[in-house]
Amino acid sequence: MFSFQARKRRSLMVASAGMTYIVIFILLLVWAFPVLWVVMTSLKMRTDIFVVPPKIMFKPTLEHYIEALKTQDILEGIGNSLVVASGTTILTLMIAVPAAYVFARVRFRFSTQTSFFVLFTEMAPPMGLIIPYFFLLNHLRMLDTYTGLIAMHMTLTVPFAIWLMITYFQDLPATLEESAAIDGASPFTTFLRVVLPNVWGGVGVTAIFAFIESWNEFLYAVVLTGSKTKTATVAIFGFLAAEESRWGPFTATGVMIMAPVIVMALFAQRHIIKGMTMGTTKG
Amino acid sequence: MKNRSGLYASWERFGWTMSAPSVLFLVAMTSIPLLSLLVMGTWRIDLTNPMGNRWIGISNYLEMLQDSRFWNAAWVTAIYTVSTVVLQVALGLVMAVALFRQVRGQGLIRVSVLLPMILAPVVVGLAWRTLILTPEYGILDYLAISLGFGSKPWLGDPRWALASVIIIHTWQWTPFAFLVFLASLHALPQEPLEAALLDTKTAWQRFRYVILPMIRPAIVIVVIFRTMIALRAFAAIFSATGGGPGTATEILNLYAYRVSFNDLNLGYGAAVATLLLFLTLAISAIFFRMRGSVIS
Repeated sequence: MFSFQARKRRSLMVASAGMTYIVIFILLLVWAFPVLWVVMTSLKMRTDIFVVPPKIMFKPTLEHYIEALKTQDILEGIGNSLVVASGTTILTLMIAVPAAYVFARVRFRFSTQTSFFVLFTEMAPPMGLIIPYFFLLNHLRMLDTYTGLIAMHMTLTVPFAIWLMITYFQDLPATLEESAAIDGASPFTTFLRVVLPNVWGGVGVTAIFAFIESWNEFLYAVVLTGSKTKTATVAIFGFLAAEESRWGPFTATGVMIMAPVIVMALFAQRHIIKGMTMGTTKG
Repeated sequence: MKNRSGLYASWERFGWTMSAPSVLFLVAMTSIPLLSLLVMGTWRIDLTNPMGNRWIGISNYLEMLQDSRFWNAAWVTAIYTVSTVVLQVALGLVMAVALFRQVRGQGLIRVSVLLPMILAPVVVGLAWRTLILTPEYGILDYLAISLGFGSKPWLGDPRWALASVIIIHTWQWTPFAFLVFLASLHALPQEPLEAALLDTKTAWQRFRYVILPMIRPAIVIVVIFRTMIALRAFAAIFSATGGGPGTATEILNLYAYRVSFNDLNLGYGAAVATLLLFLTLAISAIFFRMRGSVIS
Protein backbone atom coordinates (compact mmCIF):
# COMPACT_ATOMS: atom_id res chain seq x y z
CA MET A 1 0.00 0.00 0.00
CA PHE A 2 2.63 2.47 1.07
CA SER A 3 5.11 1.54 -1.60
CA PHE A 4 2.31 1.75 -4.15
CA GLN A 5 1.56 5.29 -3.04
CA ALA A 6 5.19 6.19 -3.05
CA ARG A 7 5.52 5.02 -6.64
CA LYS A 8 2.43 7.04 -7.60
CA ARG A 9 3.93 10.06 -5.93
CA ARG A 10 7.12 9.76 -7.97
CA SER A 11 5.23 9.42 -11.21
CA LEU A 12 3.25 12.53 -10.36
CA MET A 13 6.28 14.76 -10.16
CA VAL A 14 5.85 17.65 -12.51
CA ALA A 15 9.52 17.58 -13.40
CA SER A 16 11.41 14.41 -14.23
CA ALA A 17 14.24 13.20 -11.99
CA GLY A 18 16.84 14.10 -14.59
CA MET A 19 15.56 17.64 -14.86
CA THR A 20 15.54 17.92 -11.08
CA TYR A 21 19.23 17.11 -10.82
CA ILE A 22 20.10 19.48 -13.62
CA VAL A 23 18.21 22.24 -11.80
CA ILE A 24 20.03 21.47 -8.54
CA PHE A 25 23.38 21.54 -10.31
CA ILE A 26 22.67 24.85 -12.05
CA LEU A 27 21.29 26.29 -8.85
CA LEU A 28 24.42 25.50 -6.85
CA LEU A 29 26.68 26.65 -9.69
CA VAL A 30 24.87 29.95 -10.18
CA TRP A 31 24.19 30.87 -6.56
CA ALA A 32 26.92 29.32 -4.45
CA PHE A 33 29.83 29.61 -6.88
CA PRO A 34 30.16 33.42 -7.07
CA VAL A 35 30.41 33.59 -3.28
CA LEU A 36 32.96 30.78 -3.28
CA TRP A 37 34.88 32.57 -6.04
CA VAL A 38 35.21 35.70 -3.89
CA VAL A 39 36.63 33.57 -1.07
CA MET A 40 39.04 31.79 -3.44
CA THR A 41 40.27 35.03 -4.99
CA SER A 42 40.97 36.48 -1.55
CA LEU A 43 43.35 33.56 -0.90
CA LYS A 44 45.23 33.76 -4.20
CA MET A 45 48.60 35.33 -4.67
CA ARG A 46 48.59 38.50 -6.77
CA THR A 47 50.09 36.68 -9.71
CA ASP A 48 47.37 34.00 -9.58
CA ILE A 49 44.46 36.45 -9.74
CA PHE A 50 44.88 38.00 -13.18
CA VAL A 51 45.40 34.91 -15.29
CA VAL A 52 43.50 33.33 -18.16
CA PRO A 53 42.13 30.72 -17.78
CA PRO A 54 41.12 31.38 -14.13
CA LYS A 55 42.93 29.18 -11.66
CA ILE A 56 40.91 26.71 -9.62
CA MET A 57 43.97 25.19 -7.93
CA PHE A 58 46.48 27.53 -6.35
CA LYS A 59 48.77 27.95 -3.39
CA PRO A 60 46.75 29.85 -0.75
CA THR A 61 48.09 32.93 0.98
CA LEU A 62 46.79 35.30 3.64
CA GLU A 63 48.76 38.28 2.34
CA HIS A 64 45.66 40.18 1.18
CA TYR A 65 44.03 39.88 4.61
CA ILE A 66 47.15 41.29 6.23
CA GLU A 67 47.31 44.08 3.66
CA ALA A 68 43.61 44.89 4.13
CA LEU A 69 43.87 45.01 7.91
CA LYS A 70 46.96 47.21 7.69
CA THR A 71 44.84 49.71 5.76
CA GLN A 72 43.70 52.22 8.35
CA ASP A 73 40.24 52.64 6.80
CA ILE A 74 39.39 48.94 6.79
CA LEU A 75 40.39 48.17 10.36
CA GLU A 76 38.54 51.24 11.60
CA GLY A 77 35.64 50.49 9.27
CA ILE A 78 35.16 47.04 10.71
CA GLY A 79 35.37 48.52 14.21
CA ASN A 80 32.80 51.18 13.32
CA SER A 81 30.50 48.60 11.73
CA LEU A 82 30.70 46.52 14.92
CA VAL A 83 29.82 49.52 17.10
CA VAL A 84 26.93 50.59 14.87
CA ALA A 85 25.52 47.08 14.32
CA SER A 86 25.76 46.17 18.02
CA GLY A 87 24.24 49.47 19.10
CA THR A 88 21.44 49.12 16.57
CA THR A 89 20.74 45.54 17.66
CA ILE A 90 20.63 46.25 21.40
CA LEU A 91 18.51 49.39 21.13
CA THR A 92 16.15 47.74 18.65
CA LEU A 93 15.54 44.81 20.99
CA MET A 94 15.02 47.12 23.96
CA ILE A 95 12.19 49.05 22.33
CA ALA A 96 10.77 46.50 19.87
CA VAL A 97 10.35 43.43 22.09
CA PRO A 98 8.06 45.09 24.70
CA ALA A 99 6.02 46.72 21.92
CA ALA A 100 5.63 43.40 20.10
CA TYR A 101 4.47 41.77 23.31
CA VAL A 102 1.60 44.18 23.92
CA PHE A 103 0.61 44.19 20.24
CA ALA A 104 0.40 40.40 20.35
CA ARG A 105 -1.18 39.82 23.76
CA VAL A 106 -2.79 42.91 25.21
CA ARG A 107 -5.85 44.77 24.04
CA PHE A 108 -5.65 48.52 24.53
CA ARG A 109 -7.20 51.49 22.82
CA PHE A 110 -5.88 52.01 19.27
CA SER A 111 -3.64 48.96 19.56
CA THR A 112 -4.73 47.67 16.15
CA GLN A 113 -4.26 51.04 14.48
CA THR A 114 -0.89 51.48 16.14
CA SER A 115 0.35 48.09 15.05
CA PHE A 116 -0.72 48.83 11.48
CA PHE A 117 1.13 52.11 11.68
CA VAL A 118 4.23 50.11 12.60
CA LEU A 119 3.74 47.81 9.60
CA PHE A 120 3.31 50.84 7.40
CA THR A 121 6.53 52.51 8.50
CA GLU A 122 8.39 49.50 7.15
CA MET A 123 7.44 50.62 3.66
CA ALA A 124 8.90 54.12 4.00
CA PRO A 125 11.35 54.51 1.10
CA PRO A 126 14.87 55.02 2.50
CA MET A 127 15.63 57.84 0.04
CA GLY A 128 12.58 59.71 1.34
CA LEU A 129 13.89 59.47 4.91
CA ILE A 130 17.54 60.21 4.33
CA ILE A 131 17.08 63.51 2.44
CA PRO A 132 15.29 65.36 5.31
CA TYR A 133 17.39 63.56 7.90
CA PHE A 134 20.64 64.63 6.22
CA PHE A 135 19.32 68.21 6.06
CA LEU A 136 18.53 68.12 9.79
CA LEU A 137 21.82 66.54 10.91
CA ASN A 138 23.74 68.94 8.70
CA HIS A 139 22.09 71.82 10.58
CA LEU A 140 22.71 70.24 13.97
CA ARG A 141 26.32 69.48 13.00
CA MET A 142 25.67 65.84 13.83
CA LEU A 143 26.91 64.26 10.61
CA ASP A 144 29.61 61.62 11.11
CA THR A 145 28.35 60.47 14.52
CA TYR A 146 27.44 56.96 15.69
CA THR A 147 24.15 58.25 17.13
CA GLY A 148 22.96 59.59 13.80
CA LEU A 149 23.67 56.38 11.90
CA ILE A 150 22.32 54.05 14.61
CA ALA A 151 19.04 56.00 14.79
CA MET A 152 18.70 55.75 11.01
CA HIS A 153 19.46 52.02 10.98
CA MET A 154 16.80 51.53 13.62
CA THR A 155 14.15 52.80 11.19
CA LEU A 156 14.96 49.65 9.19
CA THR A 157 15.17 47.23 12.10
CA VAL A 158 12.46 48.32 14.59
CA PRO A 159 9.34 47.74 12.42
CA PHE A 160 10.63 44.39 11.21
CA ALA A 161 11.67 43.32 14.72
CA ILE A 162 8.21 44.14 16.09
CA TRP A 163 6.48 42.10 13.39
CA LEU A 164 8.83 39.17 13.79
CA MET A 165 8.51 39.16 17.59
CA ILE A 166 4.71 39.36 17.39
CA THR A 167 4.72 35.95 15.69
CA TYR A 168 6.79 34.48 18.53
CA PHE A 169 4.55 35.96 21.24
CA GLN A 170 1.45 34.69 19.42
CA ASP A 171 2.83 31.16 19.51
CA LEU A 172 2.86 31.14 23.32
CA PRO A 173 0.00 29.29 25.05
CA ALA A 174 -2.83 31.62 26.06
CA THR A 175 -2.68 30.32 29.64
CA LEU A 176 0.95 31.33 30.16
CA GLU A 177 0.26 34.60 31.95
CA GLU A 178 -2.79 33.40 33.87
CA SER A 179 -1.07 31.62 36.74
CA ALA A 180 1.20 34.59 37.27
CA ALA A 181 -1.83 36.87 37.34
CA ILE A 182 -3.46 34.66 39.98
CA ASP A 183 -0.31 35.00 42.08
CA GLY A 184 -0.84 38.74 41.94
CA ALA A 185 2.23 39.59 39.86
CA SER A 186 2.13 42.87 37.94
CA PRO A 187 2.09 42.70 34.16
CA PHE A 188 5.64 44.08 34.04
CA THR A 189 6.90 41.37 36.38
CA THR A 190 4.99 38.74 34.43
CA PHE A 191 6.52 39.97 31.17
CA LEU A 192 10.05 39.90 32.53
CA ARG A 193 9.89 36.71 34.63
CA VAL A 194 7.33 34.52 32.86
CA VAL A 195 6.99 35.59 29.23
CA LEU A 196 10.50 36.64 28.19
CA PRO A 197 12.19 33.36 29.23
CA ASN A 198 9.85 31.59 26.80
CA VAL A 199 10.83 33.65 23.76
CA TRP A 200 14.62 33.91 24.04
CA GLY A 201 14.92 31.90 20.81
CA GLY A 202 12.79 34.46 18.97
CA VAL A 203 14.74 37.32 20.51
CA GLY A 204 17.94 35.68 19.25
CA VAL A 205 16.58 35.40 15.70
CA THR A 206 15.41 39.02 15.83
CA ALA A 207 18.87 40.07 17.02
CA ILE A 208 20.47 38.24 14.08
CA PHE A 209 18.20 40.05 11.62
CA ALA A 210 18.87 43.46 13.17
CA PHE A 211 22.63 42.88 13.24
CA ILE A 212 22.81 41.69 9.60
CA GLU A 213 20.65 44.59 8.38
CA SER A 214 22.82 47.20 10.07
CA TRP A 215 26.13 45.45 9.29
CA ASN A 216 25.31 45.29 5.54
CA GLU A 217 23.65 48.70 5.22
CA PHE A 218 25.15 51.12 2.72
CA LEU A 219 22.94 54.09 1.69
CA TYR A 220 22.60 55.65 5.14
CA ALA A 221 26.22 54.89 5.95
CA VAL A 222 27.60 56.53 2.81
CA VAL A 223 25.49 59.66 3.31
CA LEU A 224 25.93 60.11 7.06
CA THR A 225 29.45 58.95 7.86
CA GLY A 226 32.74 60.71 7.33
CA SER A 227 36.30 60.03 8.39
CA LYS A 228 35.39 59.25 12.01
CA THR A 229 32.55 56.73 11.66
CA LYS A 230 32.95 55.28 8.15
CA THR A 231 31.67 51.69 8.18
CA ALA A 232 33.23 48.69 6.44
CA THR A 233 30.72 48.71 3.56
CA VAL A 234 31.80 52.27 2.72
CA ALA A 235 35.51 51.73 3.33
CA ILE A 236 35.73 48.75 0.95
CA PHE A 237 35.34 51.11 -2.03
CA GLY A 238 38.85 52.39 -1.35
CA PHE A 239 40.43 49.39 -3.11
CA LEU A 240 38.54 49.90 -6.35
CA ALA A 241 38.27 53.67 -6.55
CA ALA A 242 41.49 54.32 -8.44
CA GLU A 243 42.44 53.15 -11.92
CA GLU A 244 44.33 50.22 -10.49
CA SER A 245 41.97 47.52 -9.16
CA ARG A 246 43.27 45.81 -6.06
CA TRP A 247 41.17 42.65 -6.19
CA GLY A 248 43.20 40.86 -3.51
CA PRO A 249 42.60 43.21 -0.56
CA PHE A 250 39.11 43.98 -1.90
CA THR A 251 38.03 40.33 -1.80
CA ALA A 252 39.75 39.82 1.55
CA THR A 253 37.73 42.71 2.98
CA GLY A 254 34.60 41.36 1.27
CA VAL A 255 35.13 38.01 2.97
CA MET A 256 35.59 39.71 6.34
CA ILE A 257 32.28 41.56 5.81
CA MET A 258 30.52 38.38 4.67
CA ALA A 259 31.97 35.98 7.25
CA PRO A 260 29.80 36.83 10.28
CA VAL A 261 26.69 36.80 8.10
CA ILE A 262 27.56 33.41 6.58
CA VAL A 263 28.15 31.95 10.04
CA MET A 264 24.76 33.22 11.23
CA ALA A 265 23.11 31.86 8.07
CA LEU A 266 24.55 28.41 8.72
CA PHE A 267 23.29 28.37 12.29
CA ALA A 268 19.86 29.88 11.79
CA GLN A 269 18.99 29.26 8.12
CA ARG A 270 15.50 27.92 8.82
CA HIS A 271 14.62 30.84 11.07
CA ILE A 272 16.09 33.38 8.67
CA ILE A 273 14.10 31.95 5.75
CA LYS A 274 10.95 31.95 7.88
CA GLY A 275 11.52 35.58 8.83
CA MET A 276 12.33 36.71 5.29
CA THR A 277 9.24 35.13 3.78
CA MET A 278 7.04 36.28 6.69
CA GLY A 279 3.75 37.71 5.45
CA THR A 280 3.87 35.89 2.12
CA THR A 281 1.92 32.80 3.21
CA LYS A 282 -1.11 32.38 5.38
CA GLY A 283 0.52 30.42 8.21
CA MET B 1 -3.08 39.95 15.46
CA LYS B 2 -6.21 38.09 16.38
CA ASN B 3 -5.08 35.64 19.04
CA ARG B 4 -5.02 38.08 21.88
CA SER B 5 -5.66 36.51 25.24
CA GLY B 6 -7.53 39.54 26.48
CA LEU B 7 -6.11 38.78 29.87
CA TYR B 8 -4.93 42.31 30.50
CA ALA B 9 -7.92 43.74 28.67
CA SER B 10 -8.25 46.79 30.86
CA TRP B 11 -4.59 47.49 31.28
CA GLU B 12 -4.39 50.48 29.03
CA ARG B 13 -1.41 51.96 30.79
CA PHE B 14 0.62 48.80 30.47
CA GLY B 15 -0.07 48.60 26.75
CA TRP B 16 0.88 52.20 26.13
CA THR B 17 3.99 52.15 28.31
CA MET B 18 5.34 49.06 26.60
CA SER B 19 4.70 50.28 23.06
CA ALA B 20 5.37 54.00 23.52
CA PRO B 21 9.17 53.93 22.97
CA SER B 22 8.81 52.19 19.60
CA VAL B 23 5.83 54.21 18.48
CA LEU B 24 7.38 57.54 19.45
CA PHE B 25 10.64 56.54 17.81
CA LEU B 26 8.90 55.61 14.55
CA VAL B 27 6.81 58.80 14.52
CA ALA B 28 9.93 60.89 15.04
CA MET B 29 12.09 58.98 12.59
CA THR B 30 9.65 58.11 9.79
CA SER B 31 6.42 60.15 9.92
CA ILE B 32 8.03 63.51 10.62
CA PRO B 33 10.83 63.08 8.03
CA LEU B 34 8.29 62.06 5.38
CA LEU B 35 6.17 65.14 6.12
CA SER B 36 9.34 67.25 5.98
CA LEU B 37 10.13 65.64 2.64
CA LEU B 38 6.82 66.86 1.22
CA VAL B 39 7.65 70.38 2.40
CA MET B 40 11.26 70.25 1.19
CA GLY B 41 10.00 69.31 -2.28
CA THR B 42 8.33 72.74 -2.52
CA TRP B 43 11.53 74.62 -1.68
CA ARG B 44 14.67 75.49 -3.51
CA ILE B 45 17.33 74.08 -1.18
CA ASP B 46 20.77 74.20 -2.76
CA LEU B 47 23.51 73.69 -0.17
CA THR B 48 26.16 74.90 -2.61
CA ASN B 49 24.36 78.26 -2.91
CA PRO B 50 22.25 78.68 0.25
CA MET B 51 21.58 82.37 -0.34
CA GLY B 52 19.08 81.60 -3.09
CA ASN B 53 17.02 79.16 -1.02
CA ARG B 54 13.33 80.02 -0.94
CA TRP B 55 9.83 78.61 -1.23
CA ILE B 56 9.00 77.91 -4.86
CA GLY B 57 5.72 75.97 -4.72
CA ILE B 58 5.42 73.37 -7.43
CA SER B 59 8.35 74.65 -9.51
CA ASN B 60 10.46 71.56 -8.75
CA TYR B 61 7.72 69.39 -10.20
CA LEU B 62 7.34 71.62 -13.25
CA GLU B 63 11.10 71.44 -13.74
CA MET B 64 10.89 67.66 -13.56
CA LEU B 65 8.49 67.60 -16.53
CA GLN B 66 11.16 69.37 -18.63
CA ASP B 67 14.06 67.36 -17.25
CA SER B 68 15.25 64.78 -19.77
CA ARG B 69 17.46 63.12 -17.16
CA PHE B 70 14.38 62.61 -14.98
CA TRP B 71 12.47 60.98 -17.85
CA ASN B 72 15.45 58.80 -18.61
CA ALA B 73 15.53 57.72 -14.95
CA ALA B 74 11.79 57.00 -15.00
CA TRP B 75 12.21 54.89 -18.14
CA VAL B 76 15.21 53.01 -16.71
CA THR B 77 13.24 52.40 -13.50
CA ALA B 78 10.33 50.94 -15.47
CA ILE B 79 12.58 48.61 -17.50
CA TYR B 80 14.59 47.62 -14.45
CA THR B 81 11.57 46.98 -12.22
CA VAL B 82 9.44 45.09 -14.74
CA SER B 83 12.22 42.90 -16.06
CA THR B 84 13.71 42.00 -12.68
CA VAL B 85 10.29 41.13 -11.24
CA VAL B 86 9.27 39.05 -14.27
CA LEU B 87 12.59 37.21 -14.31
CA GLN B 88 12.49 36.51 -10.58
CA VAL B 89 8.97 35.11 -10.75
CA ALA B 90 9.61 32.99 -13.85
CA LEU B 91 12.92 31.54 -12.67
CA GLY B 92 11.65 31.13 -9.10
CA LEU B 93 8.64 29.19 -10.35
CA VAL B 94 10.71 26.86 -12.52
CA MET B 95 13.07 26.15 -9.64
CA ALA B 96 10.30 25.62 -7.08
CA VAL B 97 8.28 23.30 -9.30
CA ALA B 98 11.38 21.31 -10.23
CA LEU B 99 12.48 20.89 -6.63
CA PHE B 100 9.44 20.75 -4.43
CA ARG B 101 9.24 16.97 -4.25
CA GLN B 102 13.00 16.70 -3.94
CA VAL B 103 13.97 15.60 -0.44
CA ARG B 104 17.72 15.18 -0.63
CA GLY B 105 20.03 18.17 -0.63
CA GLN B 106 17.44 20.59 0.75
CA GLY B 107 19.83 22.00 3.38
CA LEU B 108 22.59 22.72 0.87
CA ILE B 109 20.14 24.31 -1.55
CA ARG B 110 18.62 26.49 1.15
CA VAL B 111 21.98 27.81 2.36
CA SER B 112 23.27 28.53 -1.14
CA VAL B 113 20.17 30.41 -2.23
CA LEU B 114 19.99 32.24 1.10
CA LEU B 115 23.48 33.72 0.74
CA PRO B 116 22.86 36.26 -2.07
CA MET B 117 19.93 37.72 -0.14
CA ILE B 118 21.72 38.26 3.16
CA LEU B 119 25.19 39.27 2.00
CA ALA B 120 25.97 42.98 1.84
CA PRO B 121 24.62 44.33 -1.49
CA VAL B 122 27.73 46.48 -1.80
CA VAL B 123 30.02 43.46 -1.70
CA VAL B 124 27.71 41.69 -4.16
CA GLY B 125 27.73 44.64 -6.57
CA LEU B 126 31.48 45.14 -6.35
CA ALA B 127 32.18 41.43 -6.75
CA TRP B 128 30.09 41.34 -9.93
CA ARG B 129 31.78 44.47 -11.23
CA THR B 130 35.24 42.97 -10.74
CA LEU B 131 35.45 39.18 -10.46
CA ILE B 132 32.50 38.33 -12.67
CA LEU B 133 32.04 41.00 -15.32
CA THR B 134 35.52 42.43 -15.95
CA PRO B 135 36.38 41.84 -19.62
CA GLU B 136 38.72 38.87 -20.03
CA TYR B 137 39.44 38.26 -16.33
CA GLY B 138 35.86 38.15 -15.08
CA ILE B 139 34.47 34.64 -14.78
CA LEU B 140 31.33 35.33 -16.82
CA ASP B 141 33.26 37.08 -19.58
CA TYR B 142 35.73 34.20 -19.61
CA LEU B 143 32.76 31.84 -19.98
CA ALA B 144 31.34 33.94 -22.82
CA ILE B 145 34.69 33.88 -24.63
CA SER B 146 35.10 30.12 -24.09
CA LEU B 147 31.63 29.43 -25.44
CA GLY B 148 32.41 31.46 -28.53
CA PHE B 149 30.23 34.50 -27.82
CA GLY B 150 33.26 36.70 -27.42
CA SER B 151 34.07 39.30 -24.78
CA LYS B 152 31.22 41.71 -23.99
CA PRO B 153 31.33 45.29 -22.63
CA TRP B 154 29.21 44.17 -19.64
CA LEU B 155 29.41 47.44 -17.75
CA GLY B 156 31.03 49.68 -20.33
CA ASP B 157 28.24 49.92 -22.88
CA PRO B 158 24.88 51.53 -21.93
CA ARG B 159 22.66 48.65 -23.09
CA TRP B 160 24.86 45.92 -21.71
CA ALA B 161 25.19 47.80 -18.42
CA LEU B 162 21.43 47.95 -17.94
CA ALA B 163 21.19 44.24 -18.77
CA SER B 164 24.02 43.55 -16.31
CA VAL B 165 22.41 45.34 -13.35
CA ILE B 166 19.16 43.51 -14.16
CA ILE B 167 21.07 40.21 -14.09
CA ILE B 168 22.72 41.14 -10.78
CA HIS B 169 19.39 42.02 -9.12
CA THR B 170 17.77 38.89 -10.52
CA TRP B 171 20.65 36.78 -9.24
CA GLN B 172 20.37 38.32 -5.81
CA TRP B 173 16.61 38.03 -5.39
CA THR B 174 15.31 35.05 -7.42
CA PRO B 175 15.96 32.93 -4.30
CA PHE B 176 13.27 34.93 -2.49
CA ALA B 177 10.63 34.04 -5.09
CA PHE B 178 11.89 30.46 -5.13
CA LEU B 179 11.61 30.07 -1.34
CA VAL B 180 8.14 31.63 -1.21
CA PHE B 181 6.86 29.41 -4.04
CA LEU B 182 8.48 26.36 -2.47
CA ALA B 183 6.80 27.12 0.86
CA SER B 184 3.39 27.65 -0.73
CA LEU B 185 3.68 24.44 -2.76
CA HIS B 186 4.44 22.58 0.46
CA ALA B 187 1.52 24.31 2.20
CA LEU B 188 -1.04 23.21 -0.43
CA PRO B 189 -3.46 20.48 0.62
CA GLN B 190 -1.62 17.48 -0.80
CA GLU B 191 -4.57 15.19 -1.56
CA PRO B 192 -6.56 17.44 -3.92
CA LEU B 193 -3.23 18.26 -5.53
CA GLU B 194 -2.49 14.56 -6.12
CA ALA B 195 -5.99 13.94 -7.45
CA ALA B 196 -5.75 16.87 -9.82
CA LEU B 197 -2.32 15.80 -10.98
CA LEU B 198 -3.69 12.32 -11.76
CA ASP B 199 -6.27 13.82 -14.10
CA THR B 200 -3.73 15.61 -16.21
CA LYS B 201 -1.44 14.06 -18.76
CA THR B 202 1.57 16.16 -19.64
CA ALA B 203 3.92 18.02 -17.35
CA TRP B 204 2.91 21.30 -18.96
CA GLN B 205 -0.79 20.62 -18.29
CA ARG B 206 0.01 19.80 -14.68
CA PHE B 207 1.83 23.07 -14.33
CA ARG B 208 -0.66 25.19 -16.25
CA TYR B 209 -3.95 23.82 -14.94
CA VAL B 210 -3.11 22.49 -11.47
CA ILE B 211 -0.10 24.19 -9.94
CA LEU B 212 -0.35 27.66 -11.42
CA PRO B 213 -3.94 28.38 -10.26
CA MET B 214 -3.13 27.03 -6.80
CA ILE B 215 -0.17 29.27 -6.15
CA ARG B 216 -1.52 32.38 -7.84
CA PRO B 217 -1.89 34.20 -4.49
CA ALA B 218 1.79 33.60 -3.77
CA ILE B 219 2.74 34.96 -7.19
CA VAL B 220 0.71 38.11 -6.58
CA ILE B 221 2.40 38.67 -3.21
CA VAL B 222 5.88 38.11 -4.65
CA VAL B 223 5.22 40.54 -7.49
CA ILE B 224 4.10 43.26 -5.07
CA PHE B 225 6.89 42.67 -2.53
CA ARG B 226 9.56 42.60 -5.20
CA THR B 227 8.22 45.66 -7.05
CA MET B 228 8.47 47.71 -3.87
CA ILE B 229 12.00 46.46 -3.21
CA ALA B 230 13.12 47.02 -6.83
CA LEU B 231 12.03 50.66 -6.48
CA ARG B 232 14.36 51.13 -3.53
CA ALA B 233 17.29 49.25 -5.08
CA PHE B 234 20.44 51.22 -4.49
CA ALA B 235 23.62 49.67 -3.13
CA ALA B 236 24.15 46.96 -5.75
CA ILE B 237 23.66 49.35 -8.72
CA PHE B 238 25.65 52.09 -7.02
CA SER B 239 28.60 49.75 -6.53
CA ALA B 240 28.38 47.97 -9.89
CA THR B 241 27.92 50.95 -12.23
CA GLY B 242 27.29 54.07 -10.10
CA GLY B 243 24.34 54.71 -12.42
CA GLY B 244 26.53 54.78 -15.49
CA PRO B 245 27.89 54.67 -18.03
CA GLY B 246 26.45 58.18 -18.23
CA THR B 247 22.93 57.71 -16.96
CA ALA B 248 22.31 54.27 -18.52
CA THR B 249 21.55 52.53 -15.22
CA GLU B 250 20.34 55.54 -13.26
CA ILE B 251 17.02 54.47 -11.72
CA LEU B 252 14.90 57.14 -9.99
CA ASN B 253 16.25 56.18 -6.58
CA LEU B 254 19.81 56.72 -7.77
CA TYR B 255 18.85 59.95 -9.54
CA ALA B 256 17.36 61.29 -6.28
CA TYR B 257 20.61 60.34 -4.54
CA ARG B 258 22.88 61.99 -7.11
CA VAL B 259 20.83 65.20 -7.18
CA SER B 260 20.66 65.37 -3.37
CA PHE B 261 24.10 64.26 -2.29
CA ASN B 262 26.40 64.88 -5.24
CA ASP B 263 24.88 68.17 -6.45
CA LEU B 264 23.55 69.01 -2.92
CA ASN B 265 20.33 70.20 -4.56
CA LEU B 266 18.15 68.88 -1.72
CA GLY B 267 14.88 70.53 -2.75
CA TYR B 268 14.80 68.96 -6.19
CA GLY B 269 16.04 65.65 -4.77
CA ALA B 270 13.19 65.76 -2.24
CA ALA B 271 10.69 66.28 -5.07
CA VAL B 272 12.01 63.20 -6.90
CA ALA B 273 11.94 61.21 -3.65
CA THR B 274 8.35 62.38 -3.01
CA LEU B 275 7.36 60.91 -6.35
CA LEU B 276 8.99 57.62 -5.33
CA LEU B 277 7.13 57.76 -2.02
CA PHE B 278 3.75 58.05 -3.75
CA LEU B 279 4.66 55.28 -6.17
CA THR B 280 5.45 53.04 -3.19
CA LEU B 281 2.25 54.09 -1.41
CA ALA B 282 0.17 53.25 -4.48
CA ILE B 283 1.73 49.81 -4.73
CA SER B 284 1.28 49.12 -1.03
CA ALA B 285 -2.37 50.20 -1.29
CA ILE B 286 -2.82 47.57 -3.99
CA PHE B 287 -0.97 45.18 -1.72
CA PHE B 288 -3.38 45.71 1.16
CA ARG B 289 -6.42 45.28 -1.09
CA MET B 290 -4.99 42.10 -2.61
CA ARG B 291 -4.06 40.78 0.78
CA GLY B 292 -7.61 41.30 1.91
CA SER B 293 -9.15 39.48 -1.03
CA VAL B 294 -6.63 36.83 -2.04
CA ILE B 295 -5.05 35.72 1.18
CA SER B 296 -7.80 35.62 3.75
